[in-house]
Amino acid sequence: MSHLTRAPRIVLAKVGLDGHDRGVKVVARGLRDAGCHVIYAGLWQQPEAVVQTVGDEDADWLGISILSGAHMTLVPRIMELLEAAGLEHVQVLLGGIIPDDDVPKLQELGVARVFGPGTSIPEIAKFVGAVGEPSDD
Amino acid sequence: MTEVVAIRELLDRFRNGDRQALNRLVSLVSRGEALEEVRVELSGIKHDARLIALTGNSGVGKSTLVGQLIEHIRSQGETVAVLACDPESVLTGGALLGDRVRMSAHAGDVGVWVRSLATTSGRQSVTAHLDLAAQLLAQYGFDHVILETVGAGQGDVAVDAIADVVVLLIQPEIGDELQWEKAGVLEVADVVVVHKGDLPGAAQTETQARELLNLPGCEETPVVRVSSKTKEGIAELWELLADLPSRQRVSSRDTRRLLRLVQEYIADQFAAWPEDMNSVAEDWAAGKLTDADAVQRILAHVVD
Ligand SMILES: Nc1nc2c(ncn2[C@@H]2O[C@H](COP(=O)(O)OP(=O)(O)O)[C@@H](O)[C@H]2O)c(=O)[nH]1
Ligand SMILES: [Mg+2]
Repeated sequence: MSHLTRAPRIVLAKVGLDGHDRGVKVVARGLRDAGCHVIYAGLWQQPEAVVQTVGDEDADWLGISILSGAHMTLVPRIMELLEAAGLEHVQVLLGGIIPDDDVPKLQELGVARVFGPGTSIPEIAKFVGAVGEPSDD
Repeated sequence: MTEVVAIRELLDRFRNGDRQALNRLVSLVSRGEALEEVRVELSGIKHDARLIALTGNSGVGKSTLVGQLIEHIRSQGETVAVLACDPESVLTGGALLGDRVRMSAHAGDVGVWVRSLATTSGRQSVTAHLDLAAQLLAQYGFDHVILETVGAGQGDVAVDAIADVVVLLIQPEIGDELQWEKAGVLEVADVVVVHKGDLPGAAQTETQARELLNLPGCEETPVVRVSSKTKEGIAELWELLADLPSRQRVSSRDTRRLLRLVQEYIADQFAAWPEDMNSVAEDWAAGKLTDADAVQRILAHVVD
């Protein structure tokens, strides 16, 4: 296999207070199988910690999952911190339960894409430009 | 390829303590880019940070122990950078890097820096040019630099060559004999940690390790029992590491460095499997070529 094209690096973090990580883990495995380098940052991450992780890992993408409904406070904070850290080039993906009405507002803030429940992994992989063969393990 | 000007600007920012510049430079060198510029930048600079490598089979608890060491180091007011290597999938080139979850008690603490690196399939157990990455981190100002890597066969030669201290982790388990064989790196270990010291059988494994390692007349290799679960032995291990003399830093004219350059060169040649080697592979698979002949043909490809 060729390494001329660099694998996209994506940090996946679960922000907020809910403790479910099944969904993120499925996405993590799916993206790995699609050829991404997935850095799983774990549960209960604070926005500050997430942004430091994105920087120190030199990630191209940040995928955050928020199920707690606090996205309209957490996401603006994360976007603000990314900019302050000079990490505007990082593309942000959002997953979780996000009401349709909020999607345009989030995109206004700079979120590249919001993936609702039931999004297929190949769809996400295609979006981050992964080149490998997606499998469904 | 990154532009020369861009690299110069990055190095300027790095000198001024810009963390994002450090972050990008580490990425560049671990991809084999900007090597010359970074070497020049770091040449002649003296820092005291030592590169401590933790190696051992997957599941032995390296990441968990690193997490505990981070806590211990921070409690003493010192800073630490961690390079955590995991192999990427041979099939897809993808990787799921979860080590930092076990180190996340200090998430958001700027005195802690963690980078998860996928080691290229078929390569060594550490990514290439990691020594430069470690030097960048030390130069940036981290008091300690820790490397986590699965020890797998040949790869350990590289760990041996770049680390100042090599710590090998083993754990109590059934079928100990097998573990010793697989461990392989025993001879390069400066310290052997019997990890998961809280598990039954730890004392026995510790005794075995001492017997195996400390032959009469040989220099003694310290063996310590540590549990990351109960934190027993963490402080003692760290003290021991601090007091240990560094192995000879690999100087620029060291034979080991030359061998490593050759290894890296060959590995680079095969980063993408050359199509015209397919016939050799097929003949070999069909038994028409001996192992030695097949290796010779493939090496001939590298030479011209
Ligand atoms: N009993 C016990 N289990 C441990 C200890 N340290 C780590 N583990 C467990 O060992 C497993 C592997 O740990 P990890 O740090 O990921 O290992 P690595 O693959 O070597 O990095 C995890 O399930 C840990 O919870 C310990 O000191 N005692
Ligand atoms: Mg690990």
